[in-house]
Formats: sequence, C-alpha cells, structure tokens
Amino acid sequence: MATKEATVYILDLGASMGKKRHGRDVSDLDWAMEYVWDKITTTVATGRKTALMSVIGVRTDDSDLAGIMPVDDGYENITVFSPLKQWLLPDIRGLQGKVKPSSTNNGDILSAVAVAVQQIDAATTGTTGKPLKFDRRIIIVTDGRGTIDTSDVAQIISKLKDYDPPVEIVLLGVDFDDAESGYKEEDKDAQKEDNETTLKEFVDQCDGNFGTLAEAIEQLAIPRIKDTRPTPSYRGTLTLGDGQTYDATITIDVERYPCVTVAKPPSASSFVVRTDLGGVGASIQSSNTVIGDDDQPMDGQLSAVRNQRVYQVDNPDEPGEKMNVESDDLERGFEYGRTAVHISESDANVVKLENDPSLQIVGFIRAEEFERFMPMSRTNFVVSQKTNSQAQLALSSFIHALYEAECYAIARIVVKQDKAPLLVVLAPHITPSYEALVEAELPFEEDVRRYKFPPLDKKLTISGKTITEHKDLPNAELTQAMSDYVDALDLSEYDKDDEGEPTEYAKIEDTYSPLLHRVNQIIRWRATHSDPTLPLPDPPQILTRFSAPPTDLLQQSESQLERLKKAADVKKVPPKTKGRGKRSRADRDKPLSGLDIDALLGNPKRVKIDANNLVPSFKQALAATDDLDAIQEAADAMADQIRTLIRGSVGDSAYGRALEALRVMRDELTELEEPEIWNVFARDLKGELIGGKLGGDRREMWWMIRGSKYGLIDRKRCFASDVTEEEAAQFYK
Amino acid sequence: MADTQDNRLGEEEDDEEEIDDASYKTIRDAVLFAIDISASMLERPPPSDDKKAERDSPASAALKCAYHLMQQRIISNPKDMMGILLYGTEKTDLKDGDNTFQHCYLLADLDVPSAQDVKQLRDLLENEEEAEEILKPAKEAPTIASVLFCANQIFTTKAPNFSSRRLFLVTDNDNPARVKQDKDTAITRARDLYDLDCTIDLFPISKPDHGFDRTRFYDDLVYPTSPSDPDAPVAIATTTKVAKSGDGLTLLKQLLASINSKAAPRRALFSLPLELGPGMRIGVKGFILIKRQEHVKSCYVWVGGEKPQIVQSSTSHMADDTARVVEKTELRKAYKFGGDTITFTPEEITQIRQCFGEPIMRIVGFKPLSLLPLWANIGKATFVYPSEVDFIGSTRVFSALQQKLIKSKKMALTWFVPRKNASPVMAALIPGEERYDENGEQTMPPGLWLVPLPFADDLRQCPEQPAEPRTTDELTDKMRIIVEQLQLPKGVYDPSKYPNPDLQWFYRILQAMALEEEVPTKPDDKTLPKYKQIDKRAGEYITAYGEEFEKVFATVGHSALSSRPKAAAKKRPAAVAVDDDEDEPKPKKRVKKEAIVKDEYGDDGLTDQQMAAINDKGQISKQTVAILKEYLGARGQPISGKKADLIERVQDYLENKGL
Repeated sequence: MATKEATVYILDLGASMGKKRHGRDVSDLDWAMEYVWDKITTTVATGRKTALMSVIGVRTDDSDLAGIMPVDDGYENITVFSPLKQWLLPDIRGLQGKVKPSSTNNGDILSAVAVAVQQIDAATTGTTGKPLKFDRRIIIVTDGRGTIDTSDVAQIISKLKDYDPPVEIVLLGVDFDDAESGYKEEDKDAQKEDNETTLKEFVDQCDGNFGTLAEAIEQLAIPRIKDTRPTPSYRGTLTLGDGQTYDATITIDVERYPCVTVAKPPSASSFVVRTDLGGVGASIQSSNTVIGDDDQPMDGQLSAVRNQRVYQVDNPDEPGEKMNVESDDLERGFEYGRTAVHISESDANVVKLENDPSLQIVGFIRAEEFERFMPMSRTNFVVSQKTNSQAQLALSSFIHALYEAECYAIARIVVKQDKAPLLVVLAPHITPSYEALVEAELPFEEDVRRYKFPPLDKKLTISGKTITEHKDLPNAELTQAMSDYVDALDLSEYDKDDEGEPTEYAKIEDTYSPLLHRVNQIIRWRATHSDPTLPLPDPPQILTRFSAPPTDLLQQSESQLERLKKAADVKKVPPKTKGRGKRSRADRDKPLSGLDIDALLGNPKRVKIDANNLVPSFKQALAATDDLDAIQEAADAMADQIRTLIRGSVGDSAYGRALEALRVMRDELTELEEPEIWNVFARDLKGELIGGKLGGDRREMWWMIRGSKYGLIDRKRCFASDVTEEEAAQFYK
Repeated sequence: MADTQDNRLGEEEDDEEEIDDASYKTIRDAVLFAIDISASMLERPPPSDDKKAERDSPASAALKCAYHLMQQRIISNPKDMMGILLYGTEKTDLKDGDNTFQHCYLLADLDVPSAQDVKQLRDLLENEEEAEEILKPAKEAPTIASVLFCANQIFTTKAPNFSSRRLFLVTDNDNPARVKQDKDTAITRARDLYDLDCTIDLFPISKPDHGFDRTRFYDDLVYPTSPSDPDAPVAIATTTKVAKSGDGLTLLKQLLASINSKAAPRRALFSLPLELGPGMRIGVKGFILIKRQEHVKSCYVWVGGEKPQIVQSSTSHMADDTARVVEKTELRKAYKFGGDTITFTPEEITQIRQCFGEPIMRIVGFKPLSLLPLWANIGKATFVYPSEVDFIGSTRVFSALQQKLIKSKKMALTWFVPRKNASPVMAALIPGEERYDENGEQTMPPGLWLVPLPFADDLRQCPEQPAEPRTTDELTDKMRIIVEQLQLPKGVYDPSKYPNPDLQWFYRILQAMALEEEVPTKPDDKTLPKYKQIDKRAGEYITAYGEEFEKVFATVGHSALSSRPKAAAKKRPAAVAVDDDEDEPKPKKRVKKEAIVKDEYGDDGLTDQQMAAINDKGQISKQTVAILKEYLGARGQPISGKKADLIERVQDYLENKGL
C-alpha cells in the first residue's frame, strides 16, 4: 500500500493572473492551471481513497476559510474551495467554475500557507491527537505580484517541520528568475522581484522545491511511471540434486520478484445509451427494477450493462433441435475431442499433477548458443532470501560461476503447490548494487510449431538441385549495400549522456508505452474539457519519438539508403493485380510437373455444372469461357443448385454446403467483375429465404448469410458494381 | 462499495489491444488421412533381434502415425476435424450405406475426433485379428481417381466451409495407373480437389528395392501452392523427402517427423510492410512458431440426459435500467474516473487508439545484439519471413538483411504496430539462422524474429540487498566446476526433449476417463532433474564446494556455524533456516537506497530467538498482525488468515525449530 497523502494546492487567483504575458496566448492563470489540472487529474485517476486533496485560492474577491480558522486580520481574500478529501470527477467540474481571476490583488500567499497547514493538521491527526502517517505536501502556484507579510514566517516554517516527514513545499512561480535554468525576466517590476526573493528564501528554509512554471509544464510531457512495490511470486529453495536421496546437494533459499511486467492502459467498460428517456423501443417496463445509484454513470446518458447467459444442449429427443437447460443441471467437465468428460466436483483434482513448490536445476547450457527468441514470458528476478546471508553468499557464488563460465542454468519451477511445472532459463545479472538471476519461461515440446520455410541463402529446385543465383537471392551489390546501410544507421553510440559522452540511443529506460500514456492523457484531458465539440489533442511528441529513425542520422545515411534502394530494386505490386484477376486458363495454377491439364482435356468450351462436384465444376466452367452468356448460364446453374441444397436441407444439415457454394460464387463473380449477376441472385435469394419459398422456414439460412457477410457486392469491393456501400449495408437489415 | 458493484457490471470485455492470435484459432482445419492398403503396404519387415530394426509394415506405421496425430490434435487443435480413409481394402464401408466407392473403408469419419475414434484406432493397432479382417487388400484396388473423388465428397459434405482442408495420402505405389486413361482421370480429380481448396499432401514410402519416384505420377497431381494457405511460403523440400525403411531410422519415426511438420496448417498472423528507411519497404509476414499450448478450459456439462453433453452458452447484453436486450452495436465504451465515467464516441475511441499511424514494422536503427539483454523480454517472439505479395523483390532484400545481421551480430530496433487498433511496441528484430538435424531435416527455419521489448513503464525494481557477503574467487571456481560438469547434451536447450508434463498428464487422465478406463497413477515427467546423474557427475564437486563454502562463510564474519547442528548433519552448504543468532553482526553496508523504494527491505524483522522469547513471555498476542505477517513471510510461511491463525502458525513454526 502506498503511503497516505495529503496535498493542498494554493492557487494565486489575483487579478494580475488574468493577464497574458510574454507573448503567450493564454492568461497566466490558464497557463498555471495546465499544470494544476494535470496534477489533480493524475491523482483522481489513481482512484486512491488515501490521496487527499484540497484547493485554496488566494487573492480571491471573497474571504471564506470554511471554518478552519476565523477570518482574522491578514487572512482576508483567501477562499478554501474544498475540504481535504478524495477528489472525484464532480469536484473537478465544481472547481472549474470557481477558478477565474478575481478583481483584486489583495491577499497574502503566506497566510494561505498557514491556512493550508491548519487544514492539513485537522485532517491528518488521529483521534488520539497524534499525527497519522501521511505524506503532506503544499503546492503553491503564484505570479508573485501580491503583497506578502513575512512576520509569521518563522512560526510557519517550524510548524511545517514539526511533522515526520516534514510538510513538503513546492512553489512554482510564473516567470520567476531561476539561476538553474538560466531564466531571467526582463523589465521585472520591483515588487515582484522582492516577492520572488522572499518566497525563494521561504522555500529554501523549509527545504522545499522552487521552480518556474515553464519548467514544470515542460516536465509534464515526460510520462510519469507508476511505482509498484515488489511482491514475491515464489519463496522457497533453489536446489541442485535431490536432498531426499543423495548427500551432495545444494540448497539456497531464494525469492522471486517480477523484473518486467507490462503496464496496461486503463480499460474501458461497456455501457449502453439510455433509451428509456425517450421511451424508444423499451418493450419491457422498468418500473420494478431498482438499482443503487452507485452503479449508474452520473451523467445520466448511459446505463450499465448486465450480461445474461443462456445454456443450450442438443435435444436428445428431437435431433437438430436445441433446448435450454437450467444452470442447476450443469456440472463441470472437459472436452476430449467431441466427447464430453464429466468430472464431478470431488474429482476435480484428478487431472492435476501433484507438485510441491520448488526451483530445481535441470542442467546448464552455453549462453553463447542460447537462442534469444526462445524465452516466451516476461522476466523475473531470483534473489536470495531477505536477511539470509548464507543464502546470499551461496547465490552470489552461483551467479558469478554462471557469469564466468558463460553459462545459463535451465531449471524447473513450481511456483505454488500443485501448479504446473515450467522450465525456465536462469541467467546471471550482476550490477554494482545487486546480484540476481534473471529468469524467463522456455517452451516445451508442444509449444514449438515445426513449420518449415525455404532457405534464404540458396534455392532448392524440385529435383533437389541447389541454386545460388536467383531473383530471390541478393547479389553481391545488394549484400554490400545492405551491409553499408546497416552500419550507417547504427544507434549504439548515437545518443549523448549527461557528460556528453556517446551512448546508446533509444534505451529501454527512455521509451514510454505510447498507448498507456495516450489513453491516460486523453482521460485526464476530457475530465477538464467536457465540451464534446472540442477536438482531441494530439499525443505528446515524446510518445512517438522512437517511431522513426532520428532525422539527422537518416540524413547522414542518405547515400547508403539510395544505394540500397537501387541495388534492391523493389517494386510495389499495384493493388489491382493482387488478386488472381480475370481468370483465364493460361493463368491457372499448375501441378508440380507444370502439366497443362486443360490441354490434356482438349480445352473444352463448355463445362457443365455437376451437383456432385459443385464448386470445382463451377470454377472450371468460368475458366472455360469469356462469353457473358456462358457465365450467366453457369451462374444460373449454380444458383439452382444452391436453391436445391437449401430446399432439401433437413434442419440446417445442408446450410454449410450452401454457404460455401455462395462464397465461391460471390468471390468468383467479383473477380470476373460481373457483380450484377451475383447481386440479382442475392436479392432474389434473400426474398425467397425470408418469404419461406425454399421449403419452409429458412430464416436461419438468411442469418448465416448475413453473419458471413455474403451480401451484395458493392462499389468498394468491385468497381464495376453500381451498388453503393450504404445500399450494401442496408441489404443486411 | 461502488467498486465491488462495478466489477460485476460489464467489466469483462476489453482485450482489444491484446496482441494475440484470436483469429488464428477460428481458422479450422480438416485432415483426411488416406492410407493405401495393398499387399506391399502390409508386408512386414523380416524379424530381427536388433532393437532398432523395423517392426512395422508401412500400413501399420501409417496407422500409428494417424493414431498419434489424432491424439496430438485433440490436444493442440481441439476444434479441428480428422478422418481416416483406407483404400484398396476388400471391405467397402463409407458409413453412409452407400456403395459408390468400392474398396474404400472409412475407418474414422471426418469429424472432431471422439474418445471412441481414438479407442477404435488403438484397438485396431493392438488387436491383430480385427486388423487382419479390415486390413485385407482387395483383389482389384480402386483407382486413385475414385479415391480422390471419394475424398472430394467427404470434404464437401463433412467439412463444407472449413478454411483449410487437407488430404494426407500415404502410399508406396509411385505409379498406380494401369492405363493412361487412369492417370488422366486422376489428374482431373486432383484438380477438382484443388479447385475445392483442398490440398493433397503426399507421404511417399519407398520400397526396399525401389525408390519412390514422384515424377512418374504424383507430380501431376500435387500442386506447389496451397489454395487455402496462400499466405504461407511454400517449402517444397519437405514433400520430396522419401522415407526409406530398414536403415536405422525407422519408417515410423520418419513418417512421424514429416507428418508432424504438417500437423497444423500454417497461417500468417500478420502481413505488413517492413520499412528499412524512408521509401524503402518490403513485404513480410509474421508466424507464431512458439506459443504456450494450454489444455482445454473446463466447460459446463449437462448431466440431465443419458450421456453427458457439452453445453453451449451464449451471452446477451441487457441494459441495467430497463432490462432491455441490447445489440452489441449499442454498447459504448467508458472509462471509470473519479467515481464517474468519462465517455468517448466510437469515433473518438478510434482516434485515440489510431493516432500512432498505420500498421507497420519500421526499423529505427541498428544495434549490436549484445545490447539486447535477456531481462528485456515481455512475451513470446514472432517469426518473420518475407512475402512477395505486395512488393516484388522482398525476399532478396530480406535475405540480405538477415545475412548481414547474422554476420555482424546485430539487431534492428523497430517500431511495431501489428494491427489497426493495436498498441505500438518497440521490438528487436533479431536474425534466426537455419538449423538442421543430423538427417538434414530443418529444425529451425531461417528468418528474423521479432522480440517485443518492455517500455520504461514495464521495468520493476529489484529488491535491495546488502552489499555483503559476496562470493570469493575460490568459491566461484568451486561452483564453476559443478556448472561445467552438468552441461545438457551439446550445451543447448532442446524443447523437443521436454514434453509438458502437466499437459500430458491432463490428457492421459482425460482420455482414460473418456474411455472409462483405469486412470493411470504415475506421471511421466521428463522435466524432473536427473538426480542420479547429478550425483554421479558432480557429487564430489558439490562436497568440495560445501567445504569451501563453510570456510568462506566463517571468514565473512559468521563464526556461529558450529552452533548449527542441523546444517552440519547433511552437507548442505546453505541451510534452509534463516540466521538466528542474536549476536550476529548486521550486514555492514547497505546499498545506497534509491528514492522510490520504501524502507521495507531494510527491515530485518524479528529473529527466531526474539520471537521465541516473546512467545515464552506470553506476549505473542500483543504483536501486531503486520509484525506476525512479516515474520512468517520471511520464513516462507503462508500469511493468510486471521490473527489467531497467524499466532498459531508462528507457534507451530517455533516448535518445529525446537524453540
């Protein structure tokens, strides 16, 4: 659990914040709020109940301390907008209406700090009067143009330091001078300069952070990484040999922690647009459904979705029919092929392999020959048991031995009682601050698919001869050009580190998950921009930084790239000829021997559609002719056969065949660019199916056609079609 | 309150960016095994005392393969169909009462195999009498044309809209045509199958005195490209592989190997442009060659009828407020935020997800392979192979790239967007070298492998550890000998030597239960270390290591070893127990703490002695749950349950330690 937090934002809302300065196109306040909103929404997004926040405005028109303390002298023009609490979306929306520049410049920022301390004190003290364990923080955003009374400052500082840990002060100044970043505001007025000095001293005295707003906003673009506390996924022993049977064995107490875990973007839930408001299509009355407010999204437009499951089996009495069964009659089981195997609750463990938790060395392999594509999981650290120096010494010797022998260990791990054993690779990982084994899962025999692919460095002919010169093989020129280009685009020393020394470009530590931060960015943005007509902002540049080679490196390698392009001579296939195009006999695929089968058969002009050989005879009929009448004739014969199949189908028994015939017919006619022949038939067939003209209720068949999207051929699919995409979509309705 | 409620409602679906192969599974495959039953196919090899000698007739080897494949497919492709057709048998039976195809015997109809099919096949292999009755060659064998047409009919009716349909033809007869007419009809029937999108895969068997010559007949029947699998590159080499019987490697093994490489139809996971630089693109396809094979999930079974039946369930969505059934298209996505929802229109969702550009594999630059550490791994790698479909010349460029990367030991860093809605990842494109086994069979295909890399967001901190003790050179050397003694064969990890014990066990039990046979009791687990060998090969070195360890450990400041009778009894250099000496010096130097890691790891918690003292004073119940949990956790004990349970567990633990 993360530590509890209490954060107070002190916002300077003085009239001077409403001005646009230094050529910015937003007012100082709006600019400052970019930072504040980002901070607030980030906290809200965590959904943590223990992250308390409040916002105090200073130099406001009114004075309202919400009863924290009386509005005494010096505490005027301060408004407490919210108590310290977990913030929710309505709080954000509420604050939005209140954050605007006031018409006054009165109000003391240090008094606001005093109020904040008071507020924190009240909210973070336990019932016994002792302060609770909290991270306390006050974030101040100001332009430093108000008046500041420093008489109480010592007292405030001592109060801030009273806590353990002390209250952290962060002060962000609008256009404050900053030696570190080298910023200096020209023509600064004297009062602001005084205030800047005062505030800086104040922050320094409470060991706080002082920075300029510009800097802070710049840093917002760098995604924040969520800290996660390591939790062990295995605690036990690493063993070599069997201690039960043999004397000479090694046993080391170890723990296993995640080394890499993919951070996923937040997930969206499904809702449905409420229709009861307008009463459209609500056939079931809703008056008796009472649902707690908690379930409902608050904007009132959406309703939560419930899932209802229906269980069906084949009816043993009426073949081809299904019947619903109650979930009470259901038991657990497994499918073995198409056989259902029922395993009663009491037998549930019979399919489980019994295994005690363990991590056992199976053997060692040479690191050099380990295939880097083998590991198939995220990685873990295996480290010695905490506070166990014997284990630490033993594991240290093991890690160093692997490192020096240039070996990895193969081990069998059972993480918990009766969990499936896995084989893992263990590699030494030595850094100045820690030593560990890095562990990743390896495939079993069943996990590797043994597909074969032709060699890339030679060609084998059917007769078994080896060819080394071929259009699919690179010639010497291409090989050289590729080699030069790969070497030119080397990233291993392209970046510069803090000392200006060359270092690796695009280190893992510098890459941020684009989608994760994109989704978070947009959610936070939408939280403060509820107007649906606003266009969504673009992703921050840092997320796409590594989506292409660095520009100047590309420029340097331009000549190598040009030579590579020339040597490669790659030609893009125009989209039109991608398909098999208009089929003619000459283009048809030939068997291995290259035999011309049509010639063998004497190139028949007409091929009859054969009900017993429907699909092949249809394809052959189309291939045999260019004559439109003959195509129409073949299509008609095919259409008749499809109707016959449907009419003769017992239940849905022939629907599969009919569907396949439809698919082939539609594809072939699309390729022949004769969509009209198909479209006429498809319209007729739909009418016949729905109208019950093909031997009874054939609506199920129509649903299958619809589900497979075997509808009209539209313009997008075939340019010769006069059916628009909307029309085609309408056809499925 | 709100949270638990919300979890029940509509939280279930949101895997749109999961880069998995969901579509891969929906592609169903139907395999029809056609086995030639002729006198020569049934001829058994002469009996021999040699263990490695051939025992099977070609037909029985083929049936064993079919049996093996059937069992394997139930595990790996549980939705796919398989059938076995014997041709040339005296008997005729196509399970439909029709006698159109004489001397064709459908041993198992084309369907998802049932337990009964497995049993029947096994009985045939085990029961010689039954086998003799069925495996009896006809006087006049059917023509290949009629066998092919028979297969045509079976595919058309039983697997009408399967995207992959394959005929596995096992024969030793390289020229079954008696007259030219026979061959011509066979050629047309073969083309019918091709037009039906069915592939013929030939598994030829050479006779002892006569090699199988494909050119005599079958090269006119078999097509180089597969119509159902135009994505996949064609490897012709495998089809010309001829199994020779009687020379060490048994026919069965050879046949199994070549059938295994075709066990599952190959299909590309994605087809994308690979951009080497601006204006320089080639076409590539991605294939999944490594993927964890899981066993089937448990399902609901209806036990209300005579036989247990698998239940099909369907889900419908209902609006919570009106109980109205809603279509999928009416659903909207919303993010939970601050106790409320943040919604976007479907168009906006698309805009959010697709702002990173079109699907592509774009090379950002090149780095040495040494900059790809093992820890930078988040999942399985995808195999990448060139395709000429979109760019002519892709193969030669790809080949040049692969060879250069192998030669210079480099990788390409790539920006990878696999599909339209997918999350972009950074990936390393590493070269994979072609590898062969001793028989010249390809064991690893040549190409590139795409290894997805973690982002900074995915990295986890390693828990802090004391800087001492660290190993000494002497101790490392002693361990190193052990490491070198226990190398796996050839010093490599070979997955084919390790079947998944859990998966195999699951299906053995399931098969036994499905056939209502005795359930086996002892699993065959090849992943268990070979203890005997470890002892034999490294026993003495382990003992030597143990002695050195004690010496070193004593000098690092832990002189109290003698007070640990347990550790001395067995030669275990590192005892299981934690350090329990009060006067033991705390680790001297701590690693400089990094800001983000909290203090927990510096905390040593209570020692056994301290805890025992507390317990003796009867003050154990005054300890907080946190302290008890930490104490138990540090000793590998469970930390669940109420406080009373924790106390009991602590006391048990202390008792076992004799404290």
